[in-house]
Amino acid sequence: MFDKILDSKIWSLFFKGYGFLFLGFLYLPLGLIFVYSFNANSINMAVWTEFTFDWYLTIFGGASSQSSFDAAFTESPERIFEVVKHSVIVALSASTVSTVIGTATAIALARYNFVGKRFYQALLVLPMIVPDIVLGIALLIFFVGAGFHLSLLTVIIGHTTFLSSYVFVVVSARLAGMDTSLEQASADLGAGPITTFRRVTLPQIMPGVVGGFLLAFIISLDDVVITYFIAGVGSQTLPLFILAMMRRGLRPQINALAVLLLLFTFVVAAVGLWLRSRKS
Amino acid sequence: MTSSDTILKRKRRSLILLLAPFSIMLLVFFLIPLGIMMVYSFLEPGLYGGVEWNWYPYNYGRIIGWPLNDFEEFEPIYLKIFLNSLQIAIMTVIGTFVLCYPAAFWVSRMQGAKKNFALFLITLPFFANLLVRIYAWLLLLRPTGFFNTVLQSAGLIIEPLDLLFTNFSVIIGMVYILTPFMFLPIYANVEKLDYSLVRASQDLGANALQTFRRVILPLTAPGIIGGSVIVFIPALGNFIVPSFLGGSKVQMTGNLIERSFLQSRDWPFGAALALLIMASVVVLIVFQLSRQAKAEARGVS
Repeated sequence: MFDKILDSKIWSLFFKGYGFLFLGFLYLPLGLIFVYSFNANSINMAVWTEFTFDWYLTIFGGASSQSSFDAAFTESPERIFEVVKHSVIVALSASTVSTVIGTATAIALARYNFVGKRFYQALLVLPMIVPDIVLGIALLIFFVGAGFHLSLLTVIIGHTTFLSSYVFVVVSARLAGMDTSLEQASADLGAGPITTFRRVTLPQIMPGVVGGFLLAFIISLDDVVITYFIAGVGSQTLPLFILAMMRRGLRPQINALAVLLLLFTFVVAAVGLWLRSRKS
Repeated sequence: MTSSDTILKRKRRSLILLLAPFSIMLLVFFLIPLGIMMVYSFLEPGLYGGVEWNWYPYNYGRIIGWPLNDFEEFEPIYLKIFLNSLQIAIMTVIGTFVLCYPAAFWVSRMQGAKKNFALFLITLPFFANLLVRIYAWLLLLRPTGFFNTVLQSAGLIIEPLDLLFTNFSVIIGMVYILTPFMFLPIYANVEKLDYSLVRASQDLGANALQTFRRVILPLTAPGIIGGSVIVFIPALGNFIVPSFLGGSKVQMTGNLIERSFLQSRDWPFGAALALLIMASVVVLIVFQLSRQAKAEARGVS
């Protein structure tokens, strides 16, 4: 029997071994960046010389014991702070706006029926499905043609467009499993739609809304392709900055920057995944 | 006016209010830009970027072999690059499938907290920045990278292997960044697999291979197809992975689009290429939606 086979000693051992290889494949590359980021060897990162915090220190403007040769290849803390600031401004505004828009739309589709609802639903998730590069250049053509100056604003608009779809999907999933009797009871007891929303609906969908917001925040913070096309000269974000650094060659400072970005993303993602798992 | 009329009116008003922001945004910043891109793909490229408002099907002619006149020749290179992109995207789908299918069974046989933790571990790398993940593979594959250093110090190789800048390295990078897209839909299906059907097949005398091929595979097919579609789409237009892991040796349509927009400033040609990718994606989505509708009509999901 197949389920017996799957449970048999040999197969369960096979699956276990495979599982660890699978996780190894997922984590070895990331773990490697982490280890390299503490390696003093700036010529060949794969060869360990000695442990150092220098690459992290250069990011925060601390004194570096590295030679001037290395200093020429490291970015100034001011510049790094600037692109991080851009990223945070974009991610915060885009995910806030798209959380409001996506949640409103999810509620409308869960609670009302109208002609063409299924078609509209399909339309709503399109920005998420269209390849990044297509959306990126379509927005670029549009912004330039409409006379927009490429800036943080165009990046925020571009991100909001596809992030709203993500929030919509996450909040819709939450709404789908929700009991409507509480809302009806609230309406029967004389609460207006706004009161019902604020006191009954919103608290119930809150994990979905927060989860959607965090997901949108991470995706915005990490987006490379769409941002690449619609960011102006003065509106570089952290991923674009890393992209530019990678094009100039691999320097150990990238490792440290990548680890910091990785840690931050993982913390936000862990909170989001935890919120999502709480619903079941 | 009766009170039910007022309620209906109020309901309609709140529906419109709720839907308006997304609808307006979708129209202005999504549908109209896509429409303009489509129009641009039929216009003549301007001398210094931008467009001339003349009907100019040659953008497509350059790709599919339909030159406009004697001066402009058909260059099969663009078609070749598109076919190479298709091939890489298909190989990526196969790679992620082979990797994720056994893993889905592995996780589905776990219990409770362990299962949740495994799912958490598998989902987490998905949130890591795309560039960081590609960068990691550069560190692994380059001549002075992890693999070559390990192999050399173990004495297995003398010269570093050329692991980077091949179709293979591009596919590995793609598989790595897209694995969760394949894993999650497959897992959702494997998790729901009804083992009584598996047992029935065994009781009726099928051997393990037959059971797998005729029962397990068809039952998990929706997840496999769903995962394949959502892996294929981002793989097809990707240009970041090939530009780092493929160097100048592996060209994908995404790289061509990027170059048409940011270097050669031939926007109509880039728009035509983007539309080619868009068309492939639309075909796939229509296929997937009709398959889903059929499955729903048959009462299975």
